[in-house]
Amino acid sequence: MDELITRKQFAAAIFVSLLSPLLRLLPQTAVELAGRGAWLSVLPAAVPLLVLGAILASFRAHMRPGEGLGGLILRWLGPVFGRIVLVLYAAWFLFYGGFILRSGADRLAATIYPGSGPTAFIVVTVALCLLVALGDLRAAARTAVLMRGVLVGALAAVLALSIPNMDAGRLLPVGWRDAGSIALGALPLASVGAVAGGFAFLSGYVRPAEDRRWLTVPMLTLLLLGGAICAAVVSVFGPALTHTLTYPFFIMIRSISLGDLAPRIEALVIAAWVGADFLLCAFLLRCAHEALRPVFSLPAPEGRGLSDLRGGRYLIWLEAAAVLTCALALDMPPWQMRLWSDRLVPLASDIMLYGGYGLLWLVTIPARRRARSLQPRE
Amino acid sequence: MRRVRRFTPLLYVLPLALTLAGCGLSMASDRHDVERLMLIQTMGIDRLDGRVHVSVSTGLGPEEDPALVMTASAHGIEDAIARLQNYSPENQLFYAHIQYLLLGEQAARQDLSRVIEWVDRSPTVRTDTALVIVEGTAKDAVTGASEQATDITQRLASLDRQARTVGWSVHTLREAAAAISEGDGALCLAVETAPMDQTIFTDDMRSDAVIPLGYAVLGPDGLADILTPEQSFGAELLTGDPTGLLITVDGSTMEVLEGSAELKGAYGPDGAPAGISVRCTLRAGVLEKSDDAATPEELDAALSQTVGRWVTGALETAQTTRCDFLGLKKAVLTSDHALARWGGDWTDIFPSLPMTVTVDGFVDRSYDLPE
Repeated sequence: MDELITRKQFAAAIFVSLLSPLLRLLPQTAVELAGRGAWLSVLPAAVPLLVLGAILASFRAHMRPGEGLGGLILRWLGPVFGRIVLVLYAAWFLFYGGFILRSGADRLAATIYPGSGPTAFIVVTVALCLLVALGDLRAAARTAVLMRGVLVGALAAVLALSIPNMDAGRLLPVGWRDAGSIALGALPLASVGAVAGGFAFLSGYVRPAEDRRWLTVPMLTLLLLGGAICAAVVSVFGPALTHTLTYPFFIMIRSISLGDLAPRIEALVIAAWVGADFLLCAFLLRCAHEALRPVFSLPAPEGRGLSDLRGGRYLIWLEAAAVLTCALALDMPPWQMRLWSDRLVPLASDIMLYGGYGLLWLVTIPARRRARSLQPRE
Repeated sequence: MRRVRRFTPLLYVLPLALTLAGCGLSMASDRHDVERLMLIQTMGIDRLDGRVHVSVSTGLGPEEDPALVMTASAHGIEDAIARLQNYSPENQLFYAHIQYLLLGEQAARQDLSRVIEWVDRSPTVRTDTALVIVEGTAKDAVTGASEQATDITQRLASLDRQARTVGWSVHTLREAAAAISEGDGALCLAVETAPMDQTIFTDDMRSDAVIPLGYAVLGPDGLADILTPEQSFGAELLTGDPTGLLITVDGSTMEVLEGSAELKGAYGPDGAPAGISVRCTLRAGVLEKSDDAATPEELDAALSQTVGRWVTGALETAQTTRCDFLGLKKAVLTSDHALARWGGDWTDIFPSLPMTVTVDGFVDRSYDLPE
């Protein structure tokens, strides 16, 4: 039991990983859909997240000790269809990992290292993610706990230091006639939250929860942070300019200074966000491996040396190579990258996680009923 | 063997350290040595003869070294900046610490959206850089205001401090861009350059002074107008805090002690805006009385009448330029939700809306003034 990740560490891993897509999509996508009321979109965004949480809780109730979602899918959908679904999820995780690296590298180059290529960042991060995926998952979860403090602290400081530039008048007026667009504005936040669903593949490494609300606080914090980011950026730039700017949150940070002590702090904050990209990519790599492990009936890769390729660990190297290839192949002009980032990838994420899990939940209703009827009654 | 294994991860990580920025070996192509950075503090942009002229000043050095002032022209801002770098092969021009961005009149008319886009794309220039419109060319202000002991940045910093003290507002590029992108207009400080040797008769003072004119009006298409000092006062009374400004009424010089404005919309039966009424309250203290001494009541009436004209002038400029730089829409929207219910296009209706201005002016005599 001691070798398992605690629920708090797991929640930190999910929270930190979600901070990466949070700042990729917010606030500009939410503002594009919801206008000046984007900050209120956190309220409707809670609904799909609650539904996803309920579905995941239902899956979790049927998992055996040490089993992740991969094992459950194979059991429920059978060896052929189950394997097809798992390969599909593994491919999605690898593609998404590559995309996260690419967009993170582009952001870093655009905001701190103008004129630099993203290749160095991608290669270095994939190498580090490979080390994490080959190593002990607990170390990555502990890193997430540390990163959580750093990133939330940085976010809180940025929001506090931006207060002098804010004009609350830009957030209003918002009325009932904006309700439709505000509901639409919840889509990006819901897409960000959906990524948490991918972590269900790592459930086998997590201690069973004593408190069923272990993920509620981090998801609530994430929603509040999303709302605060939208409110801060819109009150600084106004909704129209926020939509036009390339990275409005990071441009807002560019204007923050700590007097003569530190006239500019954006490099520190943006560089800290590399940590969120790195952790998300590392966990996605491991999620992909956990999806493929039942397909090839492989043992858990934990507890071996980094250079040990036995037990299917060579697959992790191949998965990292796939992420690297994907990240390097996604070389596109900024407008096209924005289309992928704001539209295509969130849509695919929603289809895979809300759609896929919802469908899985529906088609396995008979299997779950059967399993429930076989359980001994107290 | 176990001890060797313990260090295996380190062996994996060490080669990655080579990619970090360091002494010469770095993958970051824009790596700069700090001692070779030349920090640009003021930048001026002009449109002259169809070309963009960029003028920069580094500001005075730490040991009162004279400021380095350069100017270059090209088809675009980035081209001109690249040309400037050619004039400084030894040092890297660094734009992350620009404090003032000056736009020449013509550039402000033609290239405002280009400048905003450039700042958005630039990873270095801050959006809260103070934006100043120069009547004439920014090049003259940047190059003409520098000499051995001072430079344009110092002059603008002094002007900035003075402006804030006496009641003018210095707006940033972000504030202007945000207002313009909302479809409103924006105000920003307008200045002119004037030769110092007309005032100071010494041989070593040959540079230009920078003098505030009032406000420039920026609209979605660029510079729409430069307000007269009187209209600028009216605009400041409607949008900000005019406390500290000096005004002359019937030959008497007064200092504004406090001023405020309240805007209210009037609506037709269908909810469409039918007009805006503006009510201003102004309290001023006489600093210097005119020879034709008026009674206190006459002075109050003159203050109300004069300031009423200035406020009306500012409102009329907003209507003729179709730039809502006074924030009338926002003021009416927040004070009355009828306009929100109406839901029509403000830009179409606003230029022809009748406006009523009432000013309640009170003049404090010298014995009323605070010590």
